[in-house]
Amino acid sequence: MITGKKGDTPHPLNPADADTEARVARRLSLHLAMSVREIFDAISLEKNRPASMAPFDAVFRNFADAPDQILPATGRKKIGIYCMAVPEELIYAAGALPVRLCAGSSDAAEAGEALFPDVSCPMVKAATGFTRTGVLSMYRDCDLVIIPTTCDWKVKLGELLSRHVPVMMLSVPKLKAAESSRRFWYAEIRRLVQALEKVTGKRITRKRLRTAMGLLHEAQQEFRIFQTLRMDDLCLIRGRDAAAVANAWFYMDAADWTHAARTLNEELKERKAQSLATTPPSAPRILLTGSPVVFPNWKIPDLIENAGGALVCDELCSSGRLLWDMACIDEPLFEDMLDALADRAVLPCTCPVFTDTEDRRTKLFRMIQDYKVEGVVHHVLKGCHPYDMELRPLEAKLAAAGVSQLKIETDYSPEDTEPLRTRVEAFVETLKGRRLRMGKSA
Amino acid sequence: MRIDRIRLLVQALCFVFLIYGGLLGLSIGTAIPTMSCIYAEGRGGSCFLYPFQRFLSLPWSSLFGSVAAAFLIYLGTFFIWALVFGKTFCGWICPLGFLQDLLTKIREAMGIDGSRFAWATRDRFQWVKYALLVLLILLPMGIGNSLLGLPRFTPDLAVPFCQICPGKPFIPLFYGDTSHILIDFSSLTKIIMTSLSMLIAGLFLAAGFVKRRYLCAFCPMAALLSLFDRIGFVGLRKKGEACTRCGNCFRACPMEIREIADLRDRKHMVTQDCMLCLRCIEVCPEDKALQATLLGFPVFSASAEGFLKRQARTAVLPESGNKSVKNADPGTIPSEH
Repeated sequence: MITGKKGDTPHPLNPADADTEARVARRLSLHLAMSVREIFDAISLEKNRPASMAPFDAVFRNFADAPDQILPATGRKKIGIYCMAVPEELIYAAGALPVRLCAGSSDAAEAGEALFPDVSCPMVKAATGFTRTGVLSMYRDCDLVIIPTTCDWKVKLGELLSRHVPVMMLSVPKLKAAESSRRFWYAEIRRLVQALEKVTGKRITRKRLRTAMGLLHEAQQEFRIFQTLRMDDLCLIRGRDAAAVANAWFYMDAADWTHAARTLNEELKERKAQSLATTPPSAPRILLTGSPVVFPNWKIPDLIENAGGALVCDELCSSGRLLWDMACIDEPLFEDMLDALADRAVLPCTCPVFTDTEDRRTKLFRMIQDYKVEGVVHHVLKGCHPYDMELRPLEAKLAAAGVSQLKIETDYSPEDTEPLRTRVEAFVETLKGRRLRMGKSA
Repeated sequence: MRIDRIRLLVQALCFVFLIYGGLLGLSIGTAIPTMSCIYAEGRGGSCFLYPFQRFLSLPWSSLFGSVAAAFLIYLGTFFIWALVFGKTFCGWICPLGFLQDLLTKIREAMGIDGSRFAWATRDRFQWVKYALLVLLILLPMGIGNSLLGLPRFTPDLAVPFCQICPGKPFIPLFYGDTSHILIDFSSLTKIIMTSLSMLIAGLFLAAGFVKRRYLCAFCPMAALLSLFDRIGFVGLRKKGEACTRCGNCFRACPMEIREIADLRDRKHMVTQDCMLCLRCIEVCPEDKALQATLLGFPVFSASAEGFLKRQARTAVLPESGNKSVKNADPGTIPSEH
């Protein structure tokens, strides 16, 4: 069930629109480069930034400088994916490169806007913008784009994108606890295996899958070390940079990423020994949760940290959640390994598209404890209904446990930055005041 | 070393001891809570259930009279074994469990996919082991006494559970004794019991090759031992707040215990089917989410680090692959030729 094919000319619905299409593409290309350069200009003024961020920065700089070099030079097939629900191990095992296409550019969202209803998720708007204009070549180069039907936006995204790239939809069950859901999902994963084998022309064997799973485990090991370092009393790295490290996983080859992350972890360990922090200890420790935060949308992390908060962790599918959960490699047989991957992709996932809300609540409480969190920021993208729906009961539970919270409802556009800044600053001040009242040293 | 490898080794040693130990004059008694079959001549200790059923078939006047002391000592011995080792008997010692695990190993080595109970099926048949337990108590009692005014049962029903236990046909085979593989036509009761025995023996072989630990789900000894789940020396604890419900433990569990993954609010996880194989701890990637305890002290805990270390031994890393392909494109998985 693959619709669309690679290299399809983006036939505008109306030939007269061809001009418009070209104009939209030009504008996006220009604005994207500007916003990326702006980000790096601001970063270059920061002191104390770990030098090992360089390989990750290089990936993101290419968004402006060389959009066709964001992905590593490789002769492998490229498989685009739109969610964590796609087990990347299978793609590596099929000898291809997974590329996570979830997009964070407000300019791209603008370019895609025309095809969506008023209140729509900016992530799918941006992805559509990039695919439609072809400004980032990777959105068009993929040999297959896999879209799991996690939320309603993604359900409908396939039809839009299949005008430009081959698309395969993967149906994700929403009720984790039922046996029928699991069996259904196991079958979907097998359908994915067949599609990948067909596209790449390579068979996914048990040995290749074990290798791929080993590759992922090495990355996950570094990721866990990284997250554990962030639990330290000392803020060793800015939250925005931490998000960037995870974000870079979207575009980097697993082995390259692992190598870069290992170097970074070594540097952070040294910094820990030297007590070198990026944020003063007086900064209240903040957890960010909710809708994904994808480069170049560093709006929320920057707001929090520029207001004097320490963004010590996040519970986002774009970073903190990305590489945490691990599948078993030592399953006895190939089919068992597929089940293990299927389970890993869905069961521990705390995305609110699942009916189960307890998993996310438990995870948040655990993170609040582990990272010594003082305040929680809920990030809700306009149009991201699952997070919005889940928020009220979740807020009540957290409030009952005495956790300070701030809800930010926004999209990718920088328009509301200033009013948000006021709110975030007030929140950080409240947390500081709270710390004083609680008698902790500031 | 992986826990299930260590376990297989311990099982093999226990198997040899329990089956052949008697040939060297070794014995650990006759009240062992495990299927070390009474029909094995050179056994190094024998199953609690045979003498238990024999005791129960005595007339009540003697069971509660002349042999009462012997019966109590006997029960006490069982109690101590069960209290100290509990379900580790099922996972680490039981010869029938070992044979089933061997069948599973053979199946896996042949690359044949296993099967699992549908959740509803597993839930629906959990009462069977308790029913067998009740029967193995009531039927012998009815031989020596009249229950509720019923006529006494025929002595052919003596030790009814042993007559159908798959240990009876299989374990004597390890001495070349095939005398228990038969259908006895001497009486109607015998015909029924021996036919049942052959049926269950067939099931043991066939199902053992299809599903892990198939017959353990119906074992009355597990039902008896599960009385000690809470008070036993060996425990399995879960820290619900650390659990992500990723399901690794559930998939790994040979007894397909769903509760281990699904329940967050339960601390003691030795459930009625648990055999303390500890495989769940081995595959759990969350720090201290699962812990094996001895007298309440943790002896083996789940951890991300330990998980990754154990898993890395199974992973085939690209470095060990074909060197000539390696430099072509870093990160590529070498193809097999």
